[in-house]
Amino acid sequence: MGVRFYSAGGALGKDEVEGRIMDLLKGFDKVTNQEKLTPAAHFANDLGLDSLDTVEVVMAIEEEFSIEIPDKEADKLHSVQQAVEYITSQPDAH
Amino acid sequence: MALAAYRHLLRAARIAFEGDAYRLTAARKAARDGFESSRALKPDSEEAVNNIVHAEAVSKFLMENLVQGKAMDGEAERYKLRIHERTERGDNESIKLAGKKKSHPTNTKAFRS
Repeated sequence: MGVRFYSAGGALGKDEVEGRIMDLLKGFDKVTNQEKLTPAAHFANDLGLDSLDTVEVVMAIEEEFSIEIPDKEADKLHSVQQAVEYITSQPDAH
Repeated sequence: MALAAYRHLLRAARIAFEGDAYRLTAARKAARDGFESSRALKPDSEEAVNNIVHAEAVSKFLMENLVQGKAMDGEAERYKLRIHERTERGDNESIKLAGKKKSHPTNTKAFRS
């Protein structure tokens, strides 16, 4: 029987996480102002998302990285940068 | 509180309708429409609080009491059920109470958000 060795891997790199979150937001139809979509973008102030949209974005981020973000943490994610920091701090994200 | 309820509802729908894009999309839309219709309510009004309690109850139902079934190939009237780790399992303990004089308290556990 074959044995597979998975690499230690560990946390994802910042650039990769940022790229995947940006791609996800590019595909989110409520982001109307694509020019403001930068790694520093704030979901509400820059991207014009309301609070329900923001919940949907955070849920989509959960799906993208196959993790479940606890309510307490999810409530604190209001910008691309905050989301990137959170995901890179999660060893289970992949 | 409303945002947490919305998140719980979306999460419950994701589990309940996994692999069923049509119903998952419909459930997400229904959730969004429901919350949109309460947007103007004051957060601490009775109606808003009741709506949140309702949303949490729907989440719990979707997560625990809804099971997907898929028709099995070539077998009429047979379905394979997808029971998952959050599906509620009854233990039938309450049947032992039947016929006993002492009435057991009904479960009125409140929902937390």
